[in-house]
Amino acid sequence: MSTYTAPKKKNLLPKIAMAGPVSVWMILFVTIPMLYVIFISFMSRGVFGDVVYEFSTESYSTILDPTYFQVILKSLKAAGLTTVLCLLIGYPFAYIIARKPKDVAAKMITLLMIPFWTNSLMRLNSWLLLFQTSGPVNNFLVNTGIVDKPISFIYTDELVLIGLITNMLPFAVLPMYSTIEKLEKSMLEASADLGANPRTTFCRITLPITFPGIFSAIILTFIPSLGIYTVTDMLGGGKVLFIGNIIKNQFGSIRNWPLGAALSVLLIVVTMLLIFIYTRFAKIEDMEVV
Amino acid sequence: MKKLLAMLLVGVMTLSLAACGGSTDADTATDDTSAEASTELNIYMWQQYISDDLIAAFEEENNCTVNLSYMSDNADAINKLTAGGGDEYDLIMTCDAYMESLIAGGYVEEINLDNVPNSANINDAYWVSKGYCVPYLMNYIYVVYDSETCPIEITGYNDLIDPALKGQISTIDGARNLFPMALVALGYDPNSTNEEEIAAAYEWLVKFNENVAAYGNAEQNLTNGTVSVAVTYDGNASWAMAEKDTIKIADFTDDAIQLGMDLYVIPTGAKHVDLAEKFLNYICDPEVMAKNLDEFPYSCPNDAAVAAASETYQNDPARQFDYKENVFFQEDVGDAITIYNDYYQKLKVGE
Repeated sequence: MSTYTAPKKKNLLPKIAMAGPVSVWMILFVTIPMLYVIFISFMSRGVFGDVVYEFSTESYSTILDPTYFQVILKSLKAAGLTTVLCLLIGYPFAYIIARKPKDVAAKMITLLMIPFWTNSLMRLNSWLLLFQTSGPVNNFLVNTGIVDKPISFIYTDELVLIGLITNMLPFAVLPMYSTIEKLEKSMLEASADLGANPRTTFCRITLPITFPGIFSAIILTFIPSLGIYTVTDMLGGGKVLFIGNIIKNQFGSIRNWPLGAALSVLLIVVTMLLIFIYTRFAKIEDMEVV
Repeated sequence: MKKLLAMLLVGVMTLSLAACGGSTDADTATDDTSAEASTELNIYMWQQYISDDLIAAFEEENNCTVNLSYMSDNADAINKLTAGGGDEYDLIMTCDAYMESLIAGGYVEEINLDNVPNSANINDAYWVSKGYCVPYLMNYIYVVYDSETCPIEITGYNDLIDPALKGQISTIDGARNLFPMALVALGYDPNSTNEEEIAAAYEWLVKFNENVAAYGNAEQNLTNGTVSVAVTYDGNASWAMAEKDTIKIADFTDDAIQLGMDLYVIPTGAKHVDLAEKFLNYICDPEVMAKNLDEFPYSCPNDAAVAAASETYQNDPARQFDYKENVFFQEDVGDAITIYNDYYQKLKVGE
């Protein structure tokens, strides 16, 4: 018997050593905060906006209000649109980079990343400065006689969408680039040799092989754009509100932490549901994150 | 080998735990020194609201470090105060509207005004909850407009819901800034606690919201031509008027305008009270505040400082507004704040 137990003990330590720190980290910084959010969502709100530790389901009955569902639907729609546009712009871009020689590709990736060396609020502010009524874009349009009077670009849904796309594009391009880059050229040649035209080759070879990258791109753009609130706050002038803004307001100006927590739980559930659907649809091993 | 690995692992985990607790050790260290004379002052306040030179001079004079952290909303300050702000900060900026509840809740320390002799310069008429706070600057909430581009004449709050102004207004945000305007427009008490009146104000604000292009950045949006009307604080109105001379303050016929007071409080349990009092005394010094007013031209409750201020400040049109007499203060509305917040939420989510 003793010969049986000894190897078992031997095997345990490396496992703890490898998985232990990660587990501790995840428990401390993911599980406990999440449980805390769920806990707060069942508490009551004090007059001062402080959390009163009395059990209440008021926050959940509040979010049953159709208004919140409308906001969530609006956010899902915007995040979906952002994702689709990021894929449509990002895929050809990733394809072009992947087909370039290594040094050129590296330069193009750097160019894609350069704007991200600046703070995202700075980038958003620069959009405002560029497109404001007396900004360079409007000045150019008016001075060249293209339009009679300045166009109101800022504080519109369209500018919010542009802001979201520019913020998310690299997260779509990079995973797709990494799968397209691995695509064997010989496969495309073989396809051509067997008589397939470029379109058939793309649909039956390139696209299926690069699917994992596309899936990762979807997850990496859709989920952050669902919760992001700075873009809508700044480019939408605080009038275009997504679920992220509503949650942020609960912890800020409106000061209803339990409601904010309940809305966060709702967002987490929606996100997990989407990931669940995704894992059913695509194998989890296919997720390829750079 | 196994033992060695286990010990190593335990060692690493202990070290990382010790690292987590590091900041607490540092805090205790500053506690010890604060028994003598504090060398560190932590202030939580609005950004772009106090001169850097003034802070630097105070640091040099008192051989200390001033750490400024910034809030983005009045609610942030209340969050800090009610969640044990004294652990982190020695001075927190808040406004007169919350003082009663803050004192009742025991969230602020009583200030020994004997240690702040310069506070005698502050006009008592503006000093709510004396003994628990020191007023800093005042904000009139003005309606300003670009006389060249604004399609209508504005003589009261009700003009702001005129459909002609659709997408033409940029305004400051916040329940307690927006609702009083609506309540005054409807002829109610601006600090009403009556739910029906607040509901009516909400309906008014829904119409107002349709005319709003953006919440926040009001004066920039006005000067860069994005909007033609701005609802903003007097200091910001000053900047806008200095930038573009077609910008005017709306000449209200009857409606009272809001006057809010930003003040410093010492949160309960603050660790560097001695230095906080020195700082309060310093900013109440007429010369010091007069310099600050050049950089931040808001209205000031410190009469001696206003008298010592530059001519530019004293002749600023934002200072010479006839209707300054016809003002109302934001008062503490107690429990009714939740009614305000609920309607504000409804306004923001939109139905």
